[in-house]
Amino acid sequence: MKKTLFFLFIFVLTQGFSQNGIIRGVVIDDAVGESIIGANVFVKDNPTSGAVTDLDGSFSFSLPAGTYTLQVKYIGYQTITIDDVVSDPKEENVLGTIRLSEGDLELDEVVVTAKVIKTSEVALLTLKRKSAVMMDGISSAKFKQVGDATAVEAAKRVTGVSIEGGKYVYVRGLGDRYSKSMLNNVDIPGLDPDKNTLQMDIFPTNLIDNIIISKNFAAEMPADFTGGLLNIETKDFPERKLLSVSVSTSYNPQMNLNSDYLTYNGGGTDFLGFDDGTRALPAGAQDGSAPFPFVNSNQEVSDFAKSFNPTLGARRTTSPMDFSASFSMANQIGLKNSTNSLGYIFSLSYKTDYKYYDDVVYGEFQKTLSPTEYQMNYATVQSGQLGEKNVLLGGLAGIAYKTAKSKYRLTLLHLQNGESRAGQFDIDNNGAAVGQSGYIAKSDNLEYNQRGLTNVLINGVHKYDDGNWEVDWRLSPTLSSISDPDIRKTAFTYTPTNTFFSAGAGGNPSRIWRSLTEVNGIGKVDITRKHLLFDNPGKLKFGLSNTYKFRDYEILSYDIQFFANQSWDSTDPNAVLNPENIYPNEPNAIYFQSGNGRLNPNAYQSNSNNAAAYISEEFQLLKKLNAVIGLRAEYFVQRHTGRDQLYANGDKINGRNLDNEVVLESLDLFPTANFIYGLTDMQNLRASYSRTIARPSFKELSFAQILDPITNRIFNGSLFTYSSWNGQLVSTNIDNMDLRWELFMENGQIFSVSAFAKAFNNPIELVRIPEQQTSTEYQPRNVGDGFLYGFEVEFRKDLDFITPAMKNFNISGNLTIIESMIEMTDVEFNSRQSYLKDGETLDRNRQMAGQSPYVINGGVSYNSDDLGLDVGVFYNVKGPTLTIVGAGLFPDIYMKPFHSLNFSVLKKIGKNQNTTIDFKVANILNSKLQSVYQSYNADDQIFNSINPGISFGLGLSHNF
Amino acid sequence: MRVLGGRITVTNGVTLTIEPGTVIKGQAGAGANATALLIARGGKLMAEGTATLPIIFTSIADEITPEDVVAGRFASPNLEPTVNGLWGGVIVLGNAQISASNDNGDVSEVQIEGIPTSDQNGLYGGNNDADNSGVIRYISIRHGGTNIGSGNEINGLTLGGVGSGTVVENVEIVGNQDDGIEFFGGTVNVKNLISWNVGDDGIDTDQAWRGTLDNFVVITPAGHCFELDGPEGTFPGTHTIKNGSIIASTEDRVSEDLINVDDNTGVDLSNLYFTGIAEGQKINRVTASAVTFTNIMFDVAQADLASHVNGAVPAGVTAGGTPQANVSTLNWTWASKSGALSGL
Repeated sequence: MKKTLFFLFIFVLTQGFSQNGIIRGVVIDDAVGESIIGANVFVKDNPTSGAVTDLDGSFSFSLPAGTYTLQVKYIGYQTITIDDVVSDPKEENVLGTIRLSEGDLELDEVVVTAKVIKTSEVALLTLKRKSAVMMDGISSAKFKQVGDATAVEAAKRVTGVSIEGGKYVYVRGLGDRYSKSMLNNVDIPGLDPDKNTLQMDIFPTNLIDNIIISKNFAAEMPADFTGGLLNIETKDFPERKLLSVSVSTSYNPQMNLNSDYLTYNGGGTDFLGFDDGTRALPAGAQDGSAPFPFVNSNQEVSDFAKSFNPTLGARRTTSPMDFSASFSMANQIGLKNSTNSLGYIFSLSYKTDYKYYDDVVYGEFQKTLSPTEYQMNYATVQSGQLGEKNVLLGGLAGIAYKTAKSKYRLTLLHLQNGESRAGQFDIDNNGAAVGQSGYIAKSDNLEYNQRGLTNVLINGVHKYDDGNWEVDWRLSPTLSSISDPDIRKTAFTYTPTNTFFSAGAGGNPSRIWRSLTEVNGIGKVDITRKHLLFDNPGKLKFGLSNTYKFRDYEILSYDIQFFANQSWDSTDPNAVLNPENIYPNEPNAIYFQSGNGRLNPNAYQSNSNNAAAYISEEFQLLKKLNAVIGLRAEYFVQRHTGRDQLYANGDKINGRNLDNEVVLESLDLFPTANFIYGLTDMQNLRASYSRTIARPSFKELSFAQILDPITNRIFNGSLFTYSSWNGQLVSTNIDNMDLRWELFMENGQIFSVSAFAKAFNNPIELVRIPEQQTSTEYQPRNVGDGFLYGFEVEFRKDLDFITPAMKNFNISGNLTIIESMIEMTDVEFNSRQSYLKDGETLDRNRQMAGQSPYVINGGVSYNSDDLGLDVGVFYNVKGPTLTIVGAGLFPDIYMKPFHSLNFSVLKKIGKNQNTTIDFKVANILNSKLQSVYQSYNADDQIFNSINPGISFGLGLSHNF
Repeated sequence: MRVLGGRITVTNGVTLTIEPGTVIKGQAGAGANATALLIARGGKLMAEGTATLPIIFTSIADEITPEDVVAGRFASPNLEPTVNGLWGGVIVLGNAQISASNDNGDVSEVQIEGIPTSDQNGLYGGNNDADNSGVIRYISIRHGGTNIGSGNEINGLTLGGVGSGTVVENVEIVGNQDDGIEFFGGTVNVKNLISWNVGDDGIDTDQAWRGTLDNFVVITPAGHCFELDGPEGTFPGTHTIKNGSIIASTEDRVSEDLINVDDNTGVDLSNLYFTGIAEGQKINRVTASAVTFTNIMFDVAQADLASHVNGAVPAGVTAGGTPQANVSTLNWTWASKSGALSGL
């Protein structure tokens, strides 16, 4: 399947050339941080030279070269006079945010200089202070100041977030299930559609207007988040012309330029993030069947076997350095003979990196039954090395058009990601463990994971009645596809007398093809009406949205089988499929056996539709007490087409088959109430209550059984009824309560203390299936009700209070402590009790899966605009987190704290600080990423362990 | 002739009767697509062949016909007796007590090896030791054992929690990819058995099976000749294995251990004759307190006997000896007809 390559839209737009310079800026209401529409901005001495602010509060006009004094006027507000405004034909003069305070147009006048305006607090911070919803964020002004290149680097500067895996952002230690990401205020599936959070390392900051993280729910937001909602807003009308190129490289002594690096022979377009067909399912294998000896001719059986790619083994080579490059351009253009303007953004980025883990361990461990034997028994331990090559190609293009009262924009995003993995493992299976037969094997694992995401956003904003009415509508279709073509596992079993493939031990060589296509369509309209309520300003918001998602999923598998006794001269996996070993040639006589029935139990189609409506009112309840009361309704239906193995195997009576049948349907109401009491202008007390939801995913509400061929662990969809599990997975309803005191100080400094509590009704956890002892199988299930409460301290403080010389230093961080508990089901409680060790006590409650007991983020940074220098050290850790709930024989699995310490230095050089050099060190503490089995009084035993090593990065970017 | 397409399950309360002389051929497939005959708890299999009209379970690749069987030609006309993995196998599950990894009653049942968790019919175990899963007589199970995942494949004949009311006699397993016969707890007795050229263990017992295996032949499994495990729960149990002849290696096939037991295995072994013993083949452990060796004969020189026992040679293990199985009851089998039993 060939991928269509990008069309590159190059904007060739020539501006009418003149000797005039352009002056731009934004006018906001100082009190609330919102833009002012219709303010007059003009040259003091020549009131006809100027402009009126548009629906974004922006203005843009040209003046002949020179230095001017401008005035900004709006009825009911003080007039601002700005001195020393330079008009330069070579470069736009962006004044930044001009803040108007309420007052008398004629009597009150404030005089400032252009320089002061530029360094004043940005609108976002005022919004944050005044917003009735607890939010935090970072805007383009800050990116510019500190020079972060991608969204993920910028996000780490927002208090209260943690970055995982270098690309995912989480809030308050709540796991992925309870987080959500949006792009331009619409749901967008990530490159991994089973994750709620979006990969953030793909968005260049120079095209982002702001990143906002909301910690509590408001009626206009989708209700399916609990921890945090992150929204990335791309620029529509860039303030100035941008043409930027950046390149970077990084080096990790363990991973780059290492001659032990593992890879395998892939295709010619791997470097572009997709497979060229090298890994495609052979033409004759598409329908899931396979020719069979004596049923089909020798030729057919042999040809079929030979149609598969014969590469089964990894090979060692020297890994190159990591490399990335990006190009971006953006501008806005005033249209001739009109006040309308056109804005565009365009970016292209390419990234390739190499990972080599020389010490990977996957373990399966069991408890012993004896109450006096504390140590766990191993069932299987795999240890070895893993090489990964990751290619990411991203393109973002947007065009926007603005008239006096309306704004339209079209944004296109495409991401293409290809990840190739090759591993070699020693497998030790312990025959003394329950359900295990005992064997030694060595495996070669080859994998390729290809992801593509295309998103289109069409957005219109209209303002009427001086901005008192605002209508914002958005349409956003997304197409995403993921495939894992030709996952290969080839494991020779070693006995004292023989080396061969043993189905009962290391297994026969197997190959898997997985593919997933998902289409999302979102339409929404949000209406805001500003009005007076009891003589005070109020804001009514209401709107509708509809989100449709469709997914098509399929797994096909083939096993290599032997029609004759095996005899191997060589244990090179790449020699296994040599022609002399293919049926009917003996020994070995390899043929391929299909793992796919006429009906595939591992294929499904699911769709969901979520129709939502909301209304909320923001109003002044008492003099200093503002409130937002809202209600959202969501009608959610999820349908599934799929069947269990019994049905697929022909048992139409006992088997189950769903044909677009409803598996989840509910109409839920999500009330929310947020109160903010202004103790002073810079000090607030907040309280909020809201109800939110966490729904099962398509994969969770399916019959799919997904085998991870490397770890040999199996995920089972929840639709299977099994023993105590009734197959009825339902959504989790969450009641959220928040209380916060916050103190704002100048320059974005903040100190806040919060307390929060969340009650989970029917939380979903991944549970080890206790009845299955031969293979390691998990299933998502509703478990007993959960509850958590926590405390949070956040701060960002300049250090000039120590000595004025330290005014460029600041420290920031947050500490969150969470106590979570879940009431065990009877089954879980009993199974734990029967494995109780001497001295161990069992509580009916335990920690919630996926919830970290604490999160610590901290950073020290130095930033000097004058020097163009930014230096920072950031630390992050999450407490031990229960990731998989054990049962009976199987111990609990905890993710161990990963102490992440990163350093970055960034220096702008050149006449206009147009060139930036940055240097980074990641994982300075050389921490390992580990999940372990834990049992009372026993040593921890490894479930997963990889060592990411320390990496050093160097980057260069230039703005033309 | 019948074709077995997919996993055919005989559910609770249902009886499947197979006429003598029937040839049942499983379609090809691995993983979820594996073909197998599964007798769930409460179901019954009445497969009563005779010495002249046995019931044959094999693969669709096998060209044997019911006419061949009537004519006494029990051997496959086209497949070697070593070919395996062409289809699944026969799985019988019952309600007899098992010793799974928990004695508190909440894990009195577990999922059988070879059937994915998604199929509840794969659960076995209960409290009825006299449970009756039917009659299996004069059946030959050939070329099966396809896998559903590594370390998780189908035995020739799997008996999980099968009760003593069940009759299993005169059974031949040929060239199965996994074990020949595997017992998971239960109380069923088996007699007159051949396990020939299987891909893993010849005889495999787990979860405190409490029955008796009497009069049998094991020929060159690729795994252990005997893989005998103990209880996994605290519920104890001992089984009896007696009157057997074992060929541990031939020119092209060598087994692993002669006898492999765990520390907690409970088994009484008596009147067993091992021949074709190769260098390195041994009893893995002689210290397990609940394993007894009585009249176990190794066809080796007295001087070599110690090299085939890991530890001190128990009094009941001696060099020399004579075949112990009464092979006249096995005359009907393919193994017998092909001459594989010669010398026994």
